[in-house]
Amino acid sequence: MAELQGLGAQLSEAERAGVEIVAVSPDSNEHSQKVAEGLRLNYRFLADRDLTVARRYGLVHLRGGPDGQDVPRPATIVVDRDGFVRWFSVSRNFQVRPDPDDVLRVVRSL
Amino acid sequence: MSVSTRLAVLSLTIAIGAIAAYAFLLGVPIVRNHPEGYVVAFAAATALAVVAVVRARSRRWPAWIALAISSLLLVGGGWFNFVAARVPDTPTALRVGERAPDFTLPDASGRSVSLADYRGKKPVVIVFYRGYW
Repeated sequence: MAELQGLGAQLSEAERAGVEIVAVSPDSNEHSQKVAEGLRLNYRFLADRDLTVARRYGLVHLRGGPDGQDVPRPATIVVDRDGFVRWFSVSRNFQVRPDPDDVLRVVRSL
Repeated sequence: MSVSTRLAVLSLTIAIGAIAAYAFLLGVPIVRNHPEGYVVAFAAATALAVVAVVRARSRRWPAWIALAISSLLLVGGGWFNFVAARVPDTPTALRVGERAPDFTLPDASGRSVSLADYRGKKPVVIVFYRGYW
């Protein structure tokens, strides 16, 4: 719940800047949809059930979940119109997220 | 109210206030990104409770209750922040200036979304998160 509030704060600001924001997690689609509706967020939730994409990005925290399952490392990545990584931040502590202002600064510079 | 009891009340106020402040201000980046702040608050509450116990003359239970609660929070909060919430710093596939690995995943309505769909259209912010549990 905590991380989604942080996510929401980030997205509401970033959305104003007119970018596509995609949230990738192992959550099921139905679950993500419920969360999105609950928080009245209108951004893209993508379901990475088996962490295929997290693995491709090197963002798997092995046995980092509450039941010892693998989970994604919290990360924020800014990709420009040409598909190149312009900025990224990977959390060393899962409570911590990049400051939305930092993300926005990069997005506005594109 | 004795000095000891006052210190005990202050200790509990700081400890519980820290939890409330962190929960309510989670959307504020400076609060959310300094979770060690609640550990510091628990440490301050524990220190006050120790002084309360030392200074207790007649009615000792408020000081002991404050010490029990604040020290439990200190140990629990310290463990959570410095041990449980740590994410190992393993190498990622991300390099600034390189192409982001493409992917195709279903969105909440079951439609396939690819990173490549946005190429030439708009920038994309990809947020990986642990899930809703």
